[in-house]
Amino acid sequence: MTPTTSNSRDDLQFFGKINASASHEIKNVFAVINEAAGLVEDLTLMSEKGMPIEPERLKRVAKSIQGQIRRGDDIIKNMNAFAHSMDEGAKEVNLEETLGLTVALSTRMADMKQIGLEQGKCEPATALVCPFDLMRLLHGVIAAALDTMTQGSVLTVAARPSTDGATFTISSSGQVITLENDTAFAELAKQMNATITNNEKDGVLELFLKKTA
Amino acid sequence: MKILLVDDEVELVSAMAERLSLRGIDADWTDSGEKALGMARQCEYDIAVLDMKMPKLNGLELRRQLSVICPPMKFIFLSGHGSVSDFEAGSAEAESYLIKPIRIEDLISKIEEATR
Repeated sequence: MTPTTSNSRDDLQFFGKINASASHEIKNVFAVINEAAGLVEDLTLMSEKGMPIEPERLKRVAKSIQGQIRRGDDIIKNMNAFAHSMDEGAKEVNLEETLGLTVALSTRMADMKQIGLEQGKCEPATALVCPFDLMRLLHGVIAAALDTMTQGSVLTVAARPSTDGATFTISSSGQVITLENDTAFAELAKQMNATITNNEKDGVLELFLKKTA
Repeated sequence: MKILLVDDEVELVSAMAERLSLRGIDADWTDSGEKALGMARQCEYDIAVLDMKMPKLNGLELRRQLSVICPPMKFIFLSGHGSVSDFEAGSAEAESYLIKPIRIEDLISKIEEATR
């Protein structure tokens, strides 16, 4: 296996952070299903005592349970894909897919700050990187960008190929996003040959991944 | 007795309110701390059941602000988290602390204990 570039303690902290967030969401999924099932039980007991049940009420509860199962399934799929990102070291990575997974895993963090997070329109691009390292770097940049933003705004991240590598653009309409080479991910960025550029003219932040041999 | 339920999981908090109402307990619900503060201005709630982790205003902060608006109000925290620090912080500032998913009977028992 090709060694990754990151520090193992930082890796574990990131792994733990993502797992804590996902497991918290799964607990919420279970809690909603639990209440919905309890409500069906309550309505059934009431019906046995002669109170008529409105079919629409039951349909609404069934829909809620189905929706939560889909939500839980998505969370588990993302957790599984994230766990498998450590299977290999550096490899040719589809940047749109990796960004999509990172955005999905970072959405709760954005929600807690009341900021929207979305994947923008991407162009096909790949890079020779360790997918886990790339997700840690992207997550770090997203977290730092969210800290500079106001509630109610939306952060958009997209990927595209560029000369000698690939670029992620991090933007929010109406807001200028500027980041210093934050210590939280500066070392990892350096090890990955990645640089962050603030485009002060349009407020778009660019994360450039230099092509490696 | 009137209860205020606050949780950003709308389907959870609405079902919980419906289940309490089927048991004769008058419960209003909302999905945000800010809305909860507005609802509590009349101080008609005896007890508030608050999720610990919510966007913007978390359960602990919301509890402090609700206590200023309505000092006699009692509190129960809900959490899906269950970490030691979360439990200690929640238990110190509320009558009870329940981990999701909860049993409605446990919630009712805690509500009765808190308002006794």
